[in-house]
Amino acid sequence: MEMIKRILRDVSEIPAMLQTFAKRSSNVFPPIAKDSMYRLLINKVTWIIVAILLLPCLLGFVIYYQTDQGRQIETVDGEKIYYDSGGNLIHEEKREAFADQAYAIIIIIVAVITAILFSSELINEEYEKKTMQLLRTTPIHSFEILLYRYIAGVICMFGIVGLGSILLYYSIMMPAGLHGVLENLDVLLLILKILLFESIAFMAIFSVFTIYFEKPFLVGIIYWAVWERIVSTQNYQKLTITHYLDSVTYDSAKDMNIGVDAETFSLVNSKGDIIATEPLTAMLVIIVFAIFALWIGARGIANKQF
Amino acid sequence: MRIKLEQVTKNYGNVQGISNISLDVSTGITGILGPNGAGKSTTMKMVLGLSRPSRGIVTIDGKNPFFDVELKRNFGFVPEYDCFYEHMTGVEFVVYFLRMHDIDKEEAEGLAREALTELSLDGAMDRKINTYSRGMRQKTKVARATVFNPDLLVMDEPFQGADPTTRMLLMKKMSEWADEGKTILISSHILHDVQSLTDNIALINNGKMLAYGNRHEIRDLINIPRPISIVPVKKGNLRKLAKIMIDEKWTKATAIDEENNELTIETNQSEEIYLELPKILQKEKMTIEKIYSEDDSLDSLYAKLVEGAQWK
Repeated sequence: MEMIKRILRDVSEIPAMLQTFAKRSSNVFPPIAKDSMYRLLINKVTWIIVAILLLPCLLGFVIYYQTDQGRQIETVDGEKIYYDSGGNLIHEEKREAFADQAYAIIIIIVAVITAILFSSELINEEYEKKTMQLLRTTPIHSFEILLYRYIAGVICMFGIVGLGSILLYYSIMMPAGLHGVLENLDVLLLILKILLFESIAFMAIFSVFTIYFEKPFLVGIIYWAVWERIVSTQNYQKLTITHYLDSVTYDSAKDMNIGVDAETFSLVNSKGDIIATEPLTAMLVIIVFAIFALWIGARGIANKQF
Repeated sequence: MRIKLEQVTKNYGNVQGISNISLDVSTGITGILGPNGAGKSTTMKMVLGLSRPSRGIVTIDGKNPFFDVELKRNFGFVPEYDCFYEHMTGVEFVVYFLRMHDIDKEEAEGLAREALTELSLDGAMDRKINTYSRGMRQKTKVARATVFNPDLLVMDEPFQGADPTTRMLLMKKMSEWADEGKTILISSHILHDVQSLTDNIALINNGKMLAYGNRHEIRDLINIPRPISIVPVKKGNLRKLAKIMIDEKWTKATAIDEENNELTIETNQSEEIYLELPKILQKEKMTIEKIYSEDDSLDSLYAKLVEGAQWK
């Protein structure tokens, strides 16, 4: 009886607690987010990432101007539809080309490197410049210290890499004209969705590495290469983030009739059974995992001694 | 606020930071003195909850500063090193930390401008910190630490890099804050500054507490004679006074400096001299111009303790 009363009392306190948290957040979040985003935007590493993102786009533009002459145009209901010299619909060819390139360049490489670098700038720099010591002498909770930087990092990562994805999409779809650009928006949205969940997951994981390890970049690269690239193709792949990201990608790609099967994403076990997770469950797992990682990270900040 | 360290030891791997240090500090200014690497900063970090003792207990008003986040609402910390968001202006930097104290933007900005103006930074507070001189940086650190009126101020080498004007200003402010009932812990290698701020000192060397308390009392504990100089008004009284003093039980030795009209007595019981001398002078109908002890300064006390003097 006493226990039930206590639980009821605790539950009744939740609205007040949330109200206090919301009020605190309105004071604490804006300055942290503003500073974090500013630091990320003025960082030269960010501009190297932007340059990397722009390279395939530039290549796309070059290819467009070189192949522009061979296109054939058909006008249907006032809309221009483009065909290549072989009579194939360009936007259909480009659909898979964008999906493949975006997945290989943005999802697998650029996003992961961005997450490692951004988490290092946001957390590790605070330790190196010793501003973390000042923060630890203020009444801000270690979870807040991490959470608000993490949110700013996710926003920046998704914003910058997302913008790069949109540019890549446009540069690839250009030969297919406006019709092609509009026709394939679902693939772009899929890439952005995957990118968002990737940002949520990897920013959290690499923030934890930044807190616990002396060389977070090295540890991050090893983790990604060994755990996320190798283990994610094996029987224990459900222990990796890549499995859940691929599950979401696979399910959506299947619905969009992009020519993929479970084996393309290694979502099969050694017996050949498809072990893809339901997309909604996969997204939920990623969010829960990120929250758990943030909690571990907050513990690390709270226990770190100077 | 009451700071209590009970037999605190801190090890960094195989290296000992501080060993078996006990301290009980309440309101007012307390100076922590010691050479570089003595353990002053480690002690301060323990007090601030930035570090946890390997052994022993640290409490602030009975609470553990390492775990109690709310306790930190009353902590003001001026670190020895530079730790700024260099891209911010002075005002932005102070506002940033005020907002960590859950103070809204408008109020925080008002408070920040007021604190920086009080420390004579009104002309520079809207400039980026990366353009600041060392003195300006020092003032910004102090403004950040004191703007929310904390009960506990921990200042690690607050006068470092400060020009004489800044130093005087900071000392004046510290005295005011102490008068307001704040607990101020200050470490400095400029002993003169600490001496003019407080008599309460903790002397640390090689991670060990050499002495803690009133500096005059600590000096009396050291079992080596201390010189006290007396200058009589009339030059003719110099030898007479020396003759009287040499018969007193507290006098170990006397020396006369005719040229400067000065009698120096070496003693282990300086307090006794300060108490008895007026009676002697009254009885002998003598007046003196001054009485002083060169050896009473913190510098000399510091040197004696750190060099390993004998203790009773």
